[in-house]
Amino acid sequence: MQPLIDGLIFIVDDDASVREALAWLLRSRRLESEHFASAEAFEQRLAEGPLPEQPLCLLLDVRMPGTSGLVLFDRLAERGVLDAMPVIFLTGHADVPTAVDAVKRGAFDFCEKPFSDNALVDRIEQALGASLRALEVQRARKSLAGRVAELTDRERDVMRLVVEGLPNKLIADQLAISVRTVEVHRARVFDKMEVKSAVELANRLRDL
Amino acid sequence: MQRALQVAPPRWALSAFARMRSLWQRWFLWLILAVLVSALLVTVVWLAGRHEVEQVQATLDRDTADAVSDLRIGLQRNAQSLRATQAAGLDRTHWPEAAASLLREHREWLRLEWRDAALRPLQAVNTPYRTRLIDDESRGADQSDVGLACAAARKLGAPAYSPSHYVPILGGGGVEVMELCVPIDAGGFLVASYSLRDTLTELVGPTLTRGQEVAFTEADGTRLVALGTSRRTGTRVFTSQQLIDLPGAALMLRVDGWRAAPDLFPNVLTALVTAISIALVSVLALLARDTRRRLRAERDLADALAFRKAMEDSVITGLRARDLQGRITYVNPAFCEMVGFSPEELMAGSGESIEAPYWPTELAHEYQQRQARRLAGGMPPREGFESVFMRKDGTRFPVLIFEAPLINAHRVQTGWMSAFIDISEQRRIEELSRASQERLQASARLATVGEMASLLSHELTQPLAAIASYATGSLNMLGPHAKGEQAEVAMAVRRIAEQADRAGQVIRSVHDFVRRRDRTREAVAPQALIDAVLPLVRLQARKLGVSIEVALEDGLPKAMCDRTLVEQVLLNLARNGMQAMDAADGATGRLLRLRVARVVAVGGPGGEEARRWLEFSVADVGCGISEEVAGRLFTPFFTTRPDGMGLGLSLCRTVVEQHGGVLMFEPNIPRGTVFRFTLPST
Repeated sequence: MQPLIDGLIFIVDDDASVREALAWLLRSRRLESEHFASAEAFEQRLAEGPLPEQPLCLLLDVRMPGTSGLVLFDRLAERGVLDAMPVIFLTGHADVPTAVDAVKRGAFDFCEKPFSDNALVDRIEQALGASLRALEVQRARKSLAGRVAELTDRERDVMRLVVEGLPNKLIADQLAISVRTVEVHRARVFDKMEVKSAVELANRLRDL
Repeated sequence: MQRALQVAPPRWALSAFARMRSLWQRWFLWLILAVLVSALLVTVVWLAGRHEVEQVQATLDRDTADAVSDLRIGLQRNAQSLRATQAAGLDRTHWPEAAASLLREHREWLRLEWRDAALRPLQAVNTPYRTRLIDDESRGADQSDVGLACAAARKLGAPAYSPSHYVPILGGGGVEVMELCVPIDAGGFLVASYSLRDTLTELVGPTLTRGQEVAFTEADGTRLVALGTSRRTGTRVFTSQQLIDLPGAALMLRVDGWRAAPDLFPNVLTALVTAISIALVSVLALLARDTRRRLRAERDLADALAFRKAMEDSVITGLRARDLQGRITYVNPAFCEMVGFSPEELMAGSGESIEAPYWPTELAHEYQQRQARRLAGGMPPREGFESVFMRKDGTRFPVLIFEAPLINAHRVQTGWMSAFIDISEQRRIEELSRASQERLQASARLATVGEMASLLSHELTQPLAAIASYATGSLNMLGPHAKGEQAEVAMAVRRIAEQADRAGQVIRSVHDFVRRRDRTREAVAPQALIDAVLPLVRLQARKLGVSIEVALEDGLPKAMCDRTLVEQVLLNLARNGMQAMDAADGATGRLLRLRVARVVAVGGPGGEEARRWLEFSVADVGCGISEEVAGRLFTPFFTTRPDGMGLGLSLCRTVVEQHGGVLMFEPNIPRGTVFRFTLPST
C-alpha cells in the first residue's frame, strides 16, 4: 500500500512507548516519522539544518516536563513555519480546553489520547496534504518568479498592460511601438509564462 | 442695639451679678459672725472697764465716807476738849495755861478765845506752831463769823460752827479759817479758830490723802483747801464728795482719785476674751474647711457613684450579685436585657425558691447542683465556664460565666458576683469561620482529587494511546481483506483497540465528573482572593512564628479566574513558603510576602490581543530551592517532604496554565524563593 503523500512526520512526546507506538502506526500506513523525547530536542533538530522540502507534520504532546508543547508551538508560530509544517496536538482529556485554544491560535488540530482507529492518521494525511499544498504554492510561486525574471524589460511592460486588460492597439500606442511588435512580445510572454490566455496569465500573477 | 442693651442687661453683667450674689451669700454669714464676735469682744471689754470703774468709785466713796466720819468724830472730840477747859470754872489765870496746852495738842486750831456773853474777848491764846497770823484787833465783838457761830451756839445750846472765811496773812497769801463757838455754862463763849488745811491734815487719815487729792469745798463746789494736788498723775479722775453737816455750817469733802493705765484685771479679761474669740473663729474656720472638704468628698463620691452607675449601665457584660443563700441582690441592665426579665422579676422570683427564672427548665437540676456546690464553698473556675440561659420568651442562648466571691469591707464574704457574656454571636462567627474553613478544605481536597484524576488520566492514557496505536497499526498491516486465521487475529486486534478506547472513555467520564467546574470564570478582586486564604495562612503562620506581609497595588483590576482553584494555588504556595522557612534555621525574621501587581509584559502563551495580566507573588526567606530539586519541582508526585503527596505545585501549575497564565519561581534575594504566577484580568 503506497502512501498518498510522501511526507515526513515529527513526533514530540516525552513518553517513549507512545512515540514508538505512533511510529509503528504510521509505518503501518507507509508514513515516515522522526521522533523526539522533548521540545528542546526538536528545537535542536531545527537549529541543525533547514527542514526537508517535502510535506511535513508535527505531532506535539501538550504536557511535557521542561518546555511544554504550547510554548514550542508559540515559538514555531513566531518563526512562521506553521503552513509548511501543520501542528497536531496530542492531548490527554484534561488538556482539551488548552488544545482548543491552541487550535484557535493556528494549530491544525488536536487529537485526544488514546487515539482510536485511523482517525489520527487520517488527520495526519490531511495535514500532510495541507503541507503539500503549501509546498506546491511555494514551488509555483518560485517558478513563476523565475519565469518573470526570464522576461525582458519590454516583455514585462507588455505583460503588465495585458494583465490590465488593454487591447494590443492601445498597448502599442502607450509603448509607442507598432501593433505587430506588441503581438510578437505578447506571444513570447504567453510562451514563457506557459499560459494560453490573458485571463490565465492574470490568475497566475495574482498568486505571486 | 442701644435699646436692646437697655431692655436686657448684657450677659456678662448678669453673670457678674450672679457671681457677686453668690459671693455675698457666702461671705454674709462670715461677716455677721465677725461683727458678733467683735461686738462681744467690745462689750466684754467695756463691761470689764465699767466694772473696774465702779469698783474704784465704790472704794473712793467708802474712803470719803470714812473720812467724813473721822472728821465729824474729831471735830466733836475737839469741841468736847474745849468744853472741858471750863468745867472746873474759869478764871483769868488758869485758862490761858489750859488753852495753851490744848493748842499744843491740836495743831488744827489757830487760836482760842474766851469771850463774854456780848462776845467781847476776855482772853485769847494763839497756837504755838505758827507765827501769829490773827491779830487781836481784827477779832472784836463785831466779828461776823464769830457772831454767826455764837448765835447758832446760843440757839442750840451746843457747839456751833461758822462758815469758813479767808484770813489774809501778812506778806501775801492767807488761810481758810472756820470758827467754833462753844457756849460756856457761866455765860460767855469759847471760840476756836480752825485752820481748814490743818484740819484736813490732822483729822483725815494720811492713807486717804496719800493716794488722792482731798479738798474742802463749799456747797456750791468752790474749792476752799486741798491736799495732795501734786499727785495728779493719771489720765482718768474719779471724784467722790460728801457733805459734812456741821451745826451752823456745811462743808463738802471732795476726794479726787486718778487712775493711770488700766489695771491688770481688764487686761487679762480682754486677753482671755480675745484669745477665746480667736480660738472660736479658728474653730469656725476649721469647721468651715472641714465642711468644704466634706462637701467635696460628697461631690466626689456622688461623681464616683454616677460614674459607676453609668459604667454598670453601659457595659454589655451582664452583672449579677447573689447573697450566700443564692438570692439575687443586684442585676445590671445588660443582664436584664440579656435574659429579658426586669430587675424586679429577677429579684422577686428568687424569694424562697432557689430556682432562677432564666434557668432552662431541662438544665435546672444541673444548675441547682452547681449552686449547691458554690454555697458549700466550692470555688468556681477562674477562667469562667460556659452555660446556657433561657430568655423570657423561652429561647436558649449560650453564655460565658465568670464567678467570684463578693467580699465586703470587713473581709467577709457576703455573696457571689457573676459576670455574663452572651456568646451566641461569637458562636455564630465561629460557626461561620469553621464553615468557611471547611469549605476551603473541602475544595482543597476536591482540587487535589481533581489533580490526581488529571494525573492518573494522563499517566493511563499514555499506555492506552500506545496500545491503541499498536492495534490500529497491526490492523493496517493485516489489511482489510484478511482471510482465515489472519481474520481471527484482525478481529482480536480490533477488540484490543475497542477495549483501549473503552478504557479511555472510562477515564474521561471520571475526569469529567471531577473537573465539572473546570471552566467557571468569574471576576474576583485580588483583595478578595487574598482575604479568603489569609485566615488559614495566619493560623499556620502563628504556629510557625512567621509574620505575613500583604502588599496590593492601588486600583488593581479584577482577576478572571476560578476563585476556588486560585485560592488553592495561593494557599499551597503560602504553605510551601512557610514550611520552607520552618525547615531553614533560625526562628527570627521569618517573613512571608504576598504581593499582587499589574504586569504589562505577557509571560504566558499570549495571543495577539493585548490582554492585561495580574501577577501574584509569594516570597519567603526560607531555605531556597536547590538546582537538583528545581528540575523536578513540577513533576507530579515529587516531594521533598516525607508526608507530602507531591501534588501541590503540580496542581498549582495546572490551575495557572488552565487560566492561561504561567507559574514560575526564582531565588529571593538574599535568600529564599519567590513564586510568581499570572492571571488574566478583566
